[in-house]
Amino acid sequence: MKPKILLILLMTWLFLVTSCSKYPPTSDRLLEDLVIYTKYDTSIKFNQFKTFSIVDSIAYISPTDSGKVLDADAQAVLNQITQNMTSRGYVLVNKNQNPDLGINVAAVKNINVQVYYPGWYWGYPGYFPPWYWGGGGYYYPYYPTYITSYSTGTLLIEMVDLKNVTPDGKMYIRWNAYIRALLTNSHTLNQIKESIDQAFRQTKVFSK
Amino acid sequence: MKKIIVIFIVSILFAGFAQGQDKPSVGFTPSSYYTFSWNTTFTLGDFNKWVSNGSPAGFDFGGRYLIKGGLTAGFNISWQRVSQSYGYETFYGTAGDAITATNYRFTWMVPFQGVIAYHFMPDKLVSPYIGLGIGGDYMEHHLLVQEYDIYNTRWDFSLTPEIGALVKFGKFSNWGGLIAFNYKWTTNKIDFDNNWNSKDLMMLNLKVGIVLIVR
Repeated sequence: MKPKILLILLMTWLFLVTSCSKYPPTSDRLLEDLVIYTKYDTSIKFNQFKTFSIVDSIAYISPTDSGKVLDADAQAVLNQITQNMTSRGYVLVNKNQNPDLGINVAAVKNINVQVYYPGWYWGYPGYFPPWYWGGGGYYYPYYPTYITSYSTGTLLIEMVDLKNVTPDGKMYIRWNAYIRALLTNSHTLNQIKESIDQAFRQTKVFSK
Repeated sequence: MKKIIVIFIVSILFAGFAQGQDKPSVGFTPSSYYTFSWNTTFTLGDFNKWVSNGSPAGFDFGGRYLIKGGLTAGFNISWQRVSQSYGYETFYGTAGDAITATNYRFTWMVPFQGVIAYHFMPDKLVSPYIGLGIGGDYMEHHLLVQEYDIYNTRWDFSLTPEIGALVKFGKFSNWGGLIAFNYKWTTNKIDFDNNWNSKDLMMLNLKVGIVLIVR
């Protein structure tokens, strides 16, 4: 083969390899790292809330199984959330003492969900039902526009507004946090706790 | 970087002038050129805050037609990608949302430009040139977080002054090499909510390739 032709082929190959693919290789994309996503309701003043209550276990949800978990790790997660709330001035009370906020926690495994639009009700089996907080349902007034699904290993923390329940018994979620990939083996309890701290830190209305 | 640019420019000019001192060589003046180049990109300014890595992922195809003397007019079409992974960062949205994640950022660019260039000594083995590209780019700016791909796309206007040299493989060869360096200014920008407010993305490009020389 003539050197000139060889050169042209080599250059063509280099061009194809280096530039024709728009997306970089999957291995470069950091798919396995934890992600902490939070969103708060900007339409309401958070300083009206003084007290909160938190669930006594973590709801566990998967396509084949659901239930509640209260092992040492789950308790550590709940304690971390409680600690973040109390350190910001919120007072922990029992759920029968009319708390301003109720905190739900759930671990979701291997579920892909195409959600979220206003008015959607939380409907997972095993999740804390509306009557847990004494109301008629959970109401989702907002959600990110660009996150359309989640999958394996998501810890959800939700702050339910128990102070402004609608006349028909619906309750708004005023803040939520998704911490992804927590159910994989590669993430430690410490990383989960740090992620919970980060979820509170990055929420401007909770800034100390 | 400045040093590299200066050495590059001086070496190109030196090559041209050194040859200019020789007796006129027997050769031919081309009627047109077609260039196929490997394009390496170095981001500047606000673009550099988005992705600071230089990137060899790029390809450029161009054609130039001799108008008069050494003056040519033609076109350039390219594909370029710059990319980089970053550790944990927190990004804030405009509606109470925030995300903390490791992230991978890349920009994919497809420039289309008309080019005017002046070739010094187009009939010689080494022909330095200066040129100006005027046109537009299609750019996609992607922020990848896990499987989420948050992106925006934009068209822009761009200007690209360029300096370079064509080197024929032989006096009568229809093939040659190309080395060129350009500065590119665009009206493109990167804007994900309030993160990376940028304007007028700029970059330097180093092109190395082959040239088909048509008599």
